[in-house]
Amino acid sequence: MKKVSVSFTLNGDPVTAEVPAAWTLLRTLRENFEFTGAKEGCGVGECGACTVIVDGDAVNSCIFPIPEIEGKSVVTIEGIADKDGNLHPLQKAFLDNNGVQCGFCTSGMIMSAKALLDKNHNPTEDEIRTSIAGNLCRCTGYVQIVEAIGMAAKK
Amino acid sequence: MLNYDYIKPESIKDVFSLLKEYGAEATLIAGGTDVMVNIRNRKLSPGVLISLRGLMDLQYINKNKGYHIGGMTTHRMLEQSELVKNELSALHDGASRVGSVQIRNVATIGGNICNAAPSADTAGPLLVLDAVVVLEGPEGKRKIPVAEFFTGPSTTVRREDEVLVEFDIPEDNSRYGSAYWKHSRRKAMDLPILGVAVALNLAEDRTIVDARIGLSVVAPTPIRALRAEEYLKGKSFREDVLLEAGRIASSEASPRDSIRGKAWYRGDMIKVFVPRMAKLAAERRGVI
Amino acid sequence: MSDHLYVGKSIPRTIEIDKVTGRAVYIDDFKRPGMLYGKILYSDYAHARIKSINIAKAEKLPGVRAVLTGRDVPDVRVGFLKDQSVLKKDVVRQFRDEVAAVAAISPDIAREAIDLIEVEYEELPAVFDPVEAMKEGAPLVHETDARGKPLRTNILPLPWRFQAGDIEQGRRESAFTVIDHVSTTWVNQCCMGPSGCIAEFDMNSNLTLYNQTNVIFGDKGRISEYFSQIGLKGKKIRIINPIVGGSFGTKLDTDIYEFICIQLALKTRRPVKILFDREEEFRALPPRQPARFTVEQGCDREGRLTFRKIEAILDNGAYTSWGATTPSVMMMPVSSLYRVPNIYYQATCVYTNNIYCQAMRGYGNPQASFAVETSMDTLAEKAGIDPAEFRMINRNQSGDLTPMRLKITSCGLEECITSVKEKIGWNDKKGKRNGRGVGIASLIHVAGGARVTLSDGHGIMVKVDEDGFVDVLESGTDQGQGSPTVISQIVAESLGVRPEDVSVIFGDTALCLWDAGTHASRHTFMAGNAAIMACEKAKKQILEMAAEYMPRMIKSDFKKMMKKDPEFVEPELDYSLISDPANLDIRDRKIFLKSDPSHPHFNMDINKVLRRGLHVGTGESRVIAAEAFYDPPTETLDRELKGNLSMTYAFGTTGVEVEVDRDTGEVKILQLVAAHDVGKAMNPTLLLGQVYGAVYTGVGYGLTEEMKLEKGKVMNPNFLDYKLLTAMDVIPIKPVIVEPGDEAGPYGAKGVGEPGLVPTAPAIANAIYDAIGVRIKDLPITPEKVLEAIKNSK
Repeated sequence: MKKVSVSFTLNGDPVTAEVPAAWTLLRTLRENFEFTGAKEGCGVGECGACTVIVDGDAVNSCIFPIPEIEGKSVVTIEGIADKDGNLHPLQKAFLDNNGVQCGFCTSGMIMSAKALLDKNHNPTEDEIRTSIAGNLCRCTGYVQIVEAIGMAAKK
Repeated sequence: MLNYDYIKPESIKDVFSLLKEYGAEATLIAGGTDVMVNIRNRKLSPGVLISLRGLMDLQYINKNKGYHIGGMTTHRMLEQSELVKNELSALHDGASRVGSVQIRNVATIGGNICNAAPSADTAGPLLVLDAVVVLEGPEGKRKIPVAEFFTGPSTTVRREDEVLVEFDIPEDNSRYGSAYWKHSRRKAMDLPILGVAVALNLAEDRTIVDARIGLSVVAPTPIRALRAEEYLKGKSFREDVLLEAGRIASSEASPRDSIRGKAWYRGDMIKVFVPRMAKLAAERRGVI
Repeated sequence: MSDHLYVGKSIPRTIEIDKVTGRAVYIDDFKRPGMLYGKILYSDYAHARIKSINIAKAEKLPGVRAVLTGRDVPDVRVGFLKDQSVLKKDVVRQFRDEVAAVAAISPDIAREAIDLIEVEYEELPAVFDPVEAMKEGAPLVHETDARGKPLRTNILPLPWRFQAGDIEQGRRESAFTVIDHVSTTWVNQCCMGPSGCIAEFDMNSNLTLYNQTNVIFGDKGRISEYFSQIGLKGKKIRIINPIVGGSFGTKLDTDIYEFICIQLALKTRRPVKILFDREEEFRALPPRQPARFTVEQGCDREGRLTFRKIEAILDNGAYTSWGATTPSVMMMPVSSLYRVPNIYYQATCVYTNNIYCQAMRGYGNPQASFAVETSMDTLAEKAGIDPAEFRMINRNQSGDLTPMRLKITSCGLEECITSVKEKIGWNDKKGKRNGRGVGIASLIHVAGGARVTLSDGHGIMVKVDEDGFVDVLESGTDQGQGSPTVISQIVAESLGVRPEDVSVIFGDTALCLWDAGTHASRHTFMAGNAAIMACEKAKKQILEMAAEYMPRMIKSDFKKMMKKDPEFVEPELDYSLISDPANLDIRDRKIFLKSDPSHPHFNMDINKVLRRGLHVGTGESRVIAAEAFYDPPTETLDRELKGNLSMTYAFGTTGVEVEVDRDTGEVKILQLVAAHDVGKAMNPTLLLGQVYGAVYTGVGYGLTEEMKLEKGKVMNPNFLDYKLLTAMDVIPIKPVIVEPGDEAGPYGAKGVGEPGLVPTAPAIANAIYDAIGVRIKDLPITPEKVLEAIKNSK
């Protein structure tokens, strides 16, 4: 198996992984680092359950080649609560406003929303919807998710 | 089993030598949103992926005797560019409607065009903006109009040792208004059933000085509706004229039935959206 | 009752914090030591004879631990009609037929091994249309039945026929009659979390199955039956739910991959995980069943319905899951949505070589309601009555006994229709035919259990530890509906603690009592009632403990105070008041005197009493634990298919305003009002989530979603071509919650999981008709269909 060694920042920590070059970022996160918050809902970039933030941008980790992560900074759902364990405002808003149902899309949904809010503190509903258009959800009809992101933006 | 090398050269010269070294085993990867999917779906099993993501100097959008867009420019950059939004509006329409934010953050315009899907959302816009593709190979650069770039579904004139480095868009587009309609079932995460791009140069008296119409998903490659364009030139910008142009454009297309849409429906929608996009283009030009 | 502390309040889902921190463990997320990965090889044909299977290359691949074909496992039939085997040996009858399976040390090796299996087929004539399949001479999907008796027809031996009153009499009384042909297609449940399970045998051959089923005891029963046929009779089975990433019907029946996983684990003596990818979700899971209806209705001059006759043909696909019982649920709207005196209903399920079908949210009701509500509109038009008024004339009312013998207790349908009319601006907007239009449709659904098996019970256990924290053990499945929160609210309310004191353990056959499953919109109603019963018992125990120890503890506190402070004078108290548990109650963690809740001395923290009662030191120590099994006094359907199968019924009405682009055939939903009689909302925010989600799925059913099958093969097995709506496809939903309160429901609640979906598609279709005068009777209502109909109407 052709392997590659990559060093990057994962939720603030410097890490190194030696994994097959053919692996994706998602597989590396889940299997190498046991961060299983990002999910594989489709494996081909069509559902967004695997969304993580790379250098400030939301990406589908399921189609992100692991060698490309060298030197970059990755933030996953596991890394957004603060050091004292206080939930990120998005996490809290999702619980408060029922933005979570089965929860399978939730990690990706929150990471897409975080990528938006990190750059835009006062998004319009359309901007919120655009930011999560690549995150499919069967449970919620998106209504309370969009509301929750709006609530978190105000925090 | 998935087993390949991944090499990320830092210069285009290195890309050429790697392509030479690995030959048919090598596949170029830019944003990877098509390549990685094809590998996953086992439509592609490369021996080595050669990444173009080290070529950061191919990420740019500028205006200098015409518009220049680097091949590695992402759809998200196009979407967020005021220059593209205001002066190359059709391209903005197309780039903003590709996939999702996550996809647009990594997918490149060079990749979208080289992948040569009949449904590529930037193809129609680039056609009506009269864009020229700049290819670079070991022997140097060559320029091909986008209209001559595609040879069939997933095939182009690009040679295997060439990299798409830039799109050149003529300066005279500043006199055009343009618009692109992606006709799809959903408002995001979708492929077009039909794409209609229109660029119009309108005189103050509403005479159509020039018109360009690009259609996608209605032929093996994205096409220009040249007869409809010819018909429009010199005519007054009127509803009946636009409708007729739509009918002519529809007759130039050769859509097929697929699970994504019926041929008759695609043909009908050309008739609807050529006029609608012409109006939007004119509106953006500020004439109507 | 307004004095509830927790029920009826929008308590946040904090109990599910793991779902927002990435820590919730789904089947995808965990491994067992030494676990192998299973993978299934499916058929290349819709109907073919297997001539040979060569597994030699796959077996030789390093890392492969087992390769199984139909010849390697006992030839045992499984499924609702026992019409399929686990691995198909001789004939494949659909594209998803499981032909072989492997277990390997990694998912990559398993997949590679699958590719190395060579199967030679001889293609057989196939049939893909249920009407064609019923004709004489059509290819037979099954040559024999489960017992080996030759079959002559593709029609299933499940005759769903229902009759009440006299159709001919109804016809004679009709001033107007209509007949419509209505059809629906396959849709996929689209759980975001893919299917999967882990099977693990210990060396005594007892099985632990980590599985997403939402009927853990049903699953256990079916596997137990399978065990008895494969030589494992008497072996123990434990089913454990992980967190489930959506269900929507897919977790109702035991799927073939579960049996395969069990066989691989048995063969290898290692834990084996099978996890579907998205393509398998589309190709190898049973979707919602397509149906075609001929619906005929009549009414008199006043608009009162006189009769309803519905004949349905269902494409069963190649095998029979619980999906084949959807006609039983279809019967509910057919017989009981609106008052109809004379009913005839017949449903025919037909084998074809398409993929077989199963349950999906609403379970047949969305299909049948599309038929009924389409017909309601065409009949209203013929009778010259406003469609909303027509429904009001025929609305169900409290006290009704429907032709199916459903006892309508609480019924908010009138309020639902009225509020939809008002909120959508019905009177101003209807009948304009200007490209904009409004439409309306209603629903009835079970909302207090559904007695489809002989026990419709739900068992629950409650224990209260010395620290005052409560553990609830119940066999429901957390598939996203919010039950951990709602049950914690109900337990907190009825026991007298706070929701944050309550932990809820779901889905483990070893820990929990029997339950008929988390389906049929039944969980809040059933588990809620069971929880109240169990909490009453636990509370009684606590109060008995309090009556015994509170007087002593208070007195001893006084003694301590007197020691500290010689001036302290012990108050004279009537301890007999708190020596009788009947005088005491618990609220907000405090035990208090009912007759004087603010008594300065007669109240005590619950945990103080619990600790005292446990640490007695004399052999009289007690713990607090109680169980309850709630099995409601409902009926299974009798031989005439009549019976009151639920304790109560949900009603609701959806109103839709649409704008139709006559050039493109596109339909835009301008607003959607969903009014639901929910009995009483246990948690309004969570309840809205059920309505929103169901409405979105209903809009997808109405407008965008369809599995495209060509000669039995799914052509769009991905999210690019299966049009699940995105966040950009905005549906402006105005929910209206109607709360008549239900006597049988826990704190008045009824089930609400499925209803939002049911009337959505017909309301959209009716609105489109109002907008442009064109009626689409075939779902989904695509732009192509609309445009074609517009052209044909010119």
